[in-house]
Amino acid sequence: MEPILVVLAFATLSAFMAPIGVLPLRTRQAVPSAWIGWANSLAAGFMLGTAYLLAEIALIGHPVRAAVGGLLGIGYAYLSHLASGVEDVDLNRLEDVDPLYGYRILFVGGLHGAMEGLAIGLAMLESLPFGILVALALAVHNIPEAAILGSVLRSAGLGVSRTAGLAVAANVGQVLFAVVAFAVVPAIPGLLPWALGFAAGGLSYLVLSELLPQAYERAGPVSIGLVTSVATGFVVLLGGLAG
Amino acid sequence: MSSFPPLLQVFLYGLLTALATGLGAVPFAFARTISPRTLAYTSALASGLMLGASFGLLSEGADLGRLATLVGANLGVLFVLAAGRLLGDHELQFGAIRGEDARKMALIVLVMTVHSVAEGVAIGTAFAGGTSLAVVITAAIAVHNIPEGLAISAVLRPRGVSLAACAGWSILSSLPQPLLAVPSYLFVESFQSLLPYGIGFAAGAMVFMVLVELLPDAFETGRRSVIALLVSIAMVAMVLFQQTL
Repeated sequence: MEPILVVLAFATLSAFMAPIGVLPLRTRQAVPSAWIGWANSLAAGFMLGTAYLLAEIALIGHPVRAAVGGLLGIGYAYLSHLASGVEDVDLNRLEDVDPLYGYRILFVGGLHGAMEGLAIGLAMLESLPFGILVALALAVHNIPEAAILGSVLRSAGLGVSRTAGLAVAANVGQVLFAVVAFAVVPAIPGLLPWALGFAAGGLSYLVLSELLPQAYERAGPVSIGLVTSVATGFVVLLGGLAG
Repeated sequence: MSSFPPLLQVFLYGLLTALATGLGAVPFAFARTISPRTLAYTSALASGLMLGASFGLLSEGADLGRLATLVGANLGVLFVLAAGRLLGDHELQFGAIRGEDARKMALIVLVMTVHSVAEGVAIGTAFAGGTSLAVVITAAIAVHNIPEGLAISAVLRPRGVSLAACAGWSILSSLPQPLLAVPSYLFVESFQSLLPYGIGFAAGAMVFMVLVELLPDAFETGRRSVIALLVSIAMVAMVLFQQTL
């Protein structure tokens, strides 16, 4: 298979993991609160592990470019949160949801999707097995995200299948960014360490500003810490095997 | 210092790097009032510095053996878990401070001290390669230690520990460096094979300490976006600092 088709296939697969988060809605209206916390910390660990692996590659030979790229990624994620008014909003709420909240969820989903897509595309540039690992690790993050989006849409009266469809659609940006990053970044000389740093910084900021604080609100710090650190280590280990 | 016998040199260089850790308390000389918000932001600062330091350790360990590093990291997580429980069971007193704050302060000093063990081994094994680069290695490690003292002081100072005591605990946390540098210089081969485990242990302990103790504290009183900014920028700064020096 052409490498770019591998990128397309796995980024798409990652987007299609989202409906798993909608499944519990078939039987129950909502998932237990602590489960959302653990799912978030699992996603946080996978994202941190991915950020670590990307930064490790970026720093080889180009520590300053990678670090400046990292700061730009942090700044980008911060400013886009700020501009959309979500920087201190709990986006894991399942009750009392209104349309504005729904739009914010969609917006944040899109922001994550862009960062995750960039990470997948850049990892694929390093090696295809590594890229596949990153795509699968980040796919896990789409599941709790879809669970939240799903309960918002359900409370607006939408059917389960349409909700699942919209959960996939919310991740389309990820597929687009993965393919574009894979095709465009190598075409611009010297861009790679900046881009790797950008993705690593952005992912770290998203973990710290959203996933972890929301996780702490739903489960105890010890369980959150354990899930996050073990998940991080797992991705770091697999990253070493995938080269 | 080159007139001293090599063994003493290794110890003295290790001691110098430990003393540098005390410099990390200096910025807190300028902090006058310390509110709960300040505590949140100093916790965030300490978190970022420790995460950045763990990044450096992990990538160093990965070069020596990725699996061994991760085994060590998991042991480090278990260590903090066990130490946190044990410290919580005893009525602890840290200076004039008691209870939950004392537990947290004891834990950070303990974690940073244990992490210095791995660094001491790293110094000793580095010196075994010849003392010609000794000054460079020592200077680099001494400079690395300053933000580590900053991390410790950022946890102790807002809880009412005096400036001198912050510097003292910081230096104490680095004493394993000279103490461990000597045996690992002498028995370099056996220590070298343990190094990735030790490095992983140090990184795992620090990351877990951040996740279980420091970040939850920070998020409780501070604004999420500001904390995330502080942690991530401090982390990038620490990584850049370690990679370029």
